[in-house]
Amino acid sequence: MNEITGKVENGRILINLSGRIDSGNAADIEHEIMEIAQSAPADPVEIDAQELEYVSSAGLRILLRVKKAHADMTIRNVNSEVYEILDMTGFTQMMNVEKAYRMVSVDGCEVIGQGANGTIYRIDQDNVVKVYNNADALEDIQHEREVARLALVLGIPTAISYDVVRVGDSYGSVFELLNARSFSKILAQEPDQLDWCVREYVDLLKKIHSTEVPDGDLPDMRQTAISWAEFMKEYLPAAEGDKLFKLISAIPRDDHMIHGDYHTKNLELTGDEVLLIDMDTLAVGHPVFELGSMYNAFIGFSEYDHSIVKNFLGFDLETAKVFWRKTLQRYLDTTDEERIKKIEDKARIVGYTRLIRRSIRRGGLEDSEKKAEIDLWTSNLIELLHQIDSLVFTVREIEVDALKDNLNTVTQCVESTLESADCPMKLQMQILLAVEEIFVNIANYAYEPGTGKAQMRIDVVDQDEQGGPQGKTVTITFKDQGMKYNPLAKEDPDVTLPAVKRKVGGLGVFLVKNIMDDVQYEYVNNSNILTMIKHF
Amino acid sequence: MKVDKQLAGTQLDVAVTGRVDTTTAPQLEEEIKASLDGVTVLKIDFAGVEYISSAGLRVLLSCQKIMNSQGSMVMTGVRESVMEIFEVTGFSDILTIQ
Repeated sequence: MNEITGKVENGRILINLSGRIDSGNAADIEHEIMEIAQSAPADPVEIDAQELEYVSSAGLRILLRVKKAHADMTIRNVNSEVYEILDMTGFTQMMNVEKAYRMVSVDGCEVIGQGANGTIYRIDQDNVVKVYNNADALEDIQHEREVARLALVLGIPTAISYDVVRVGDSYGSVFELLNARSFSKILAQEPDQLDWCVREYVDLLKKIHSTEVPDGDLPDMRQTAISWAEFMKEYLPAAEGDKLFKLISAIPRDDHMIHGDYHTKNLELTGDEVLLIDMDTLAVGHPVFELGSMYNAFIGFSEYDHSIVKNFLGFDLETAKVFWRKTLQRYLDTTDEERIKKIEDKARIVGYTRLIRRSIRRGGLEDSEKKAEIDLWTSNLIELLHQIDSLVFTVREIEVDALKDNLNTVTQCVESTLESADCPMKLQMQILLAVEEIFVNIANYAYEPGTGKAQMRIDVVDQDEQGGPQGKTVTITFKDQGMKYNPLAKEDPDVTLPAVKRKVGGLGVFLVKNIMDDVQYEYVNNSNILTMIKHF
Repeated sequence: MKVDKQLAGTQLDVAVTGRVDTTTAPQLEEEIKASLDGVTVLKIDFAGVEYISSAGLRVLLSCQKIMNSQGSMVMTGVRESVMEIFEVTGFSDILTIQ
């Protein structure tokens, strides 16, 4: 039923709309509205839409005509269905439209996630609400919505909020999350799923880190970290403060995505889909920043008080340590402990910096327990600062169809990685040659006569071990799931033979062996894995 | 990769510019072999080549084999980066490099 009431009050025309406006009643309603509005033709119009359930295009035309007669027009208390119609048709751009916020209570609701800026509650079987800590959170909500939308468009599976609600004195955003279980919960309830969780967790992480973000669409983590380092200069001894600042400033700009708060509470399994939530910390930057905050979530926060991780993530420190270790192994694609430790140490420098600053800013130095915790982190940080000379490492991964046509895609990935690692030109050419030889071998023979995939991964790590040689190490790994074949087992060609006796083939692998410092082959999980290493 | 050919009597001069890799080597092979009939001197100018992979080496080897039976083949202008590959693979002994 439709009732229209209206009055002119204090120089404003106030109109209440209710029910449905469609072609059946539009003419009558327009007549009534115009009658009220014409009584004060110069006054602004305010429409209260709290009771309005639906507007069809006939109703929209009325709004347009009112707007034409009264340029200053506002529609308040619009429910989400009507808001969606107004938004889709562009009306929200033409006139002031203010949404009505539903009230939602989270009393007794299960907490399913916790992030830096809010807490996520399940409000019913299909929906969750993220309640922001900040009371005036509309801007934060808008930001998170925008970055979640951006991430989704760039291929990251995430949930986008469809409604903003009031929760007590705070705001919340509502998401659909059907029967979701966080990875924390899975790990706490089914410890035997740990390996599965690691796999999904790392694969999504790699996806995030290989996503290029258009310039300026997300905040730059490097800038944030430089401000941390500036803060820490006040606190650390001069030499260590300077070194930290130098290390962080030397991290190159990186336009790949990082999540910023990537722990097991922010990954949800719904059905067989893994969704990333809590997107407000999304940024661009070097992956060392991500690993730093991951280290904190699993270990850093709990280094002084070992019970913290249980309260925060829901499982004990031992499980957290195993999860972190396996995560690094899979992320770095190695079981080489020395190599893993090297990169973990880089991440810890970033992690401690963040923890110490955070605690000091929250008054940690004034509390004896907190002070002891800060002291522990600080002594660890200082020890690392004496050992580490660079926070940078590079990991790039691609998968292509094993076809010669894709050689360029592969070599370009290697070339850009080597270039950004300041690899000398001559060496770049030699490494590219090795890459070409191996990839073309896979393309030609691995899946013959069919086709399949080839994966390539390249990483560059600084050799910054104390007292060790200065320089960098590039590791390139090729994988294919074709027939088992060890190219290194092939006999080297006799390079002393004259042309007539020389065979046309066999040179490629020989060149690879000569160019690279180390080449290894293994066959694991139905994959041929060829790893080549070069120091420079 | 770009290939310029000039035939003067029975001498074929070939100037190559760019990368000689898996993608471009077949083109080089085709261009040279199409003009090799009756040629007794094959000169390949590599001054413009900064990169060669085994696919390119195979083309050079097979040209060398043909020229062994009908005359001679000479490489000129070979750059340091390419020369190193020739040395590692023994091609510096097989090819005549000026």
